[in-house]
Amino acid sequence: MATITVDGKEIQAKENALLIEELLANDINIPHFCYHPALGKDGNCRMCMVEIEGKKRPQIACDTPVKNGMVIRTKSENIERVKRSILELELINHPIDCPICDQAGECSLQNYYMDVGLYESRLQTPKTHAKKHVDIGANVVLDQERCVLCTRCVRFTKNITKTNELGVLNRSDHSVITTFPNHPLSNPYAMNVVDLCPVGALTSKDFRFNKRVWFLEPDNGICNGCARGCNIFVDHHQAKYEEDIIFRYRPRFNALVNGYFICDYGRLSYKKENESLSSKPLIRGKESEYEYSMMKILRLLKHHYGNTSFVISASLSLEQMYALKKMAYRYDANLYAYNENYDENFGDDFLKVNDKETNRKSIKLLGINESKEDLYEGIKKSELLVFIGRCDILLEEEKTVVCISPYPPSEREVDVYLPILSHTHVSGTYINCEGIVQFHTSKIKNSGDIKSLLELISFYTEINHSTCKEIWEEGLGELMGEITLGKLKLESIKLGFA
Amino acid sequence: MGIKVVPRHGKSFKEKIYLPAIFGGLKVTFKHFFTNLKDTSNIKTIQYPEVMPKDITPRYRGIHRLTKREDGSIRCVACFMCATACPADCIFIEATERLDGIDEKMPKRFDIDLLECVFCGGCVEACPCDAIRMDTGIFAFVQDERKKFVINKEQLLANEAMKEEEK
Repeated sequence: MATITVDGKEIQAKENALLIEELLANDINIPHFCYHPALGKDGNCRMCMVEIEGKKRPQIACDTPVKNGMVIRTKSENIERVKRSILELELINHPIDCPICDQAGECSLQNYYMDVGLYESRLQTPKTHAKKHVDIGANVVLDQERCVLCTRCVRFTKNITKTNELGVLNRSDHSVITTFPNHPLSNPYAMNVVDLCPVGALTSKDFRFNKRVWFLEPDNGICNGCARGCNIFVDHHQAKYEEDIIFRYRPRFNALVNGYFICDYGRLSYKKENESLSSKPLIRGKESEYEYSMMKILRLLKHHYGNTSFVISASLSLEQMYALKKMAYRYDANLYAYNENYDENFGDDFLKVNDKETNRKSIKLLGINESKEDLYEGIKKSELLVFIGRCDILLEEEKTVVCISPYPPSEREVDVYLPILSHTHVSGTYINCEGIVQFHTSKIKNSGDIKSLLELISFYTEINHSTCKEIWEEGLGELMGEITLGKLKLESIKLGFA
Repeated sequence: MGIKVVPRHGKSFKEKIYLPAIFGGLKVTFKHFFTNLKDTSNIKTIQYPEVMPKDITPRYRGIHRLTKREDGSIRCVACFMCATACPADCIFIEATERLDGIDEKMPKRFDIDLLECVFCGGCVEACPCDAIRMDTGIFAFVQDERKKFVINKEQLLANEAMKEEEK
């Protein structure tokens, strides 16, 4: 450990670590474009200048190792002047089209300019123009004029995905980011360059012009695309007279799970969350009232008491599974979770895994029956089948089939279909493929009459446990041992015994 | 707190019978009445709505309009600055890609609910492109249905600035 003095305050830092890392870790605002924790230093933007005592000129914080006893100034007239000059250079050819730029509101260039910008332009020569709208592939649109050439995107394709699609072409004023002819950006993580881009040069075609970013409320969520359970920000907004809908997913840093990135498949999976809000209860294919369908299922459960099988999805949350176990006990039903939802072509060596179910580890933890033979055996014996979160097992014989899921079953007609809130609309705990327990909360407002699965189970079991907290207090907490809901709200925890 | 003693007026006989003061006031009334009877051109009151007011100042905040570029196309780029600044949340915008090469972005829908609008002029102040103005001088708008008070992009573009002679 080394002790360094920053603006007169002493802080503890790791010897030989990058100065910018230590400063940012101590909440000291250092403007930067090219440095990114996942991509490391590059030293090309010169934005992170600090004064170091004993050095003649200001130094870049991203390529300076920490030495014991360093005295650093981040705020002085000289540093302000240097930053202002660098910003002036960056803005010489920048179109300053913030009104039409999707990045406005979360743009580093805009923020730094508001802090230390030179508000009056000294430029007399016309700006050098470049292409404003280049579709470089993989849902990414490039605006070459807005680019500050920090090369984060280039280094991402070089170091992280190792696909090398992007590069810098030409010299000086005419330098632009571009792809090679006939080789568009195409890799399963390509849209991360949109988040990496500190300015509005790379924007997502999917989110483009849909919503200004300052309206969005970020919710901490977990992606349910595969068993990795990447941490995401769920950006949602409720416009006046409209429903609260999700506009995009963004990666949320979690060193244990996904680092700084998510895959494009997961990123675009928000659309089905919005679609789930328009699901309507169906009785034999005909639209019905929510309350009526709820009561219909209750009557069926009571009528077929002891002759029922619950077939649940492995993507439900731990709390939902726990409550379903109680519900199965209450109606003397069998509980099965067998499924073969693996996609051999999906996984890779980075984040994506073949297992498409988010919470398979929780099934094992709760000891729910996963055997295929037992499932088919059980189905044969029972009269009523209740599918929860899925509806995939096709039957040979005629049975009464109930489906409780956010999405209506597409392949078949069921006797009763009841929609529930999908996973981003409810809080819950998930255990990913590596046994990391994660909890996410949801603040998305529900203006329709669709209920959450926990509320439904409370109704059917007549035990009041409609929130995650109540489930944890009721018995899940004991099962989880040292892991408590309070701890999970702060950080994700590696499971010791699964 | 001190007490201020206020002298009480109206104690004299002349003041107590009121009539001299009433005739004093009526004198002014009758003076104007007879002057206006002889010559009607100086009357301040106008016969609205047959006669429209002519003294609306250029800064008067009437119904909004969307301005146009030199080529006659819409100037607005749907940056949502007006909707963000609006204290009544009465501006509803949907943006879309602009494909005519003039700009990148334009509003697909631009509605203002005039019943919710408080005519503060915040949208005009906020606009970075001078695309919305309230200089139409239109101060009266009548409809027979609530939903007709929500004026759309086409109506806003059709509104023109107040004419020079009207100002």
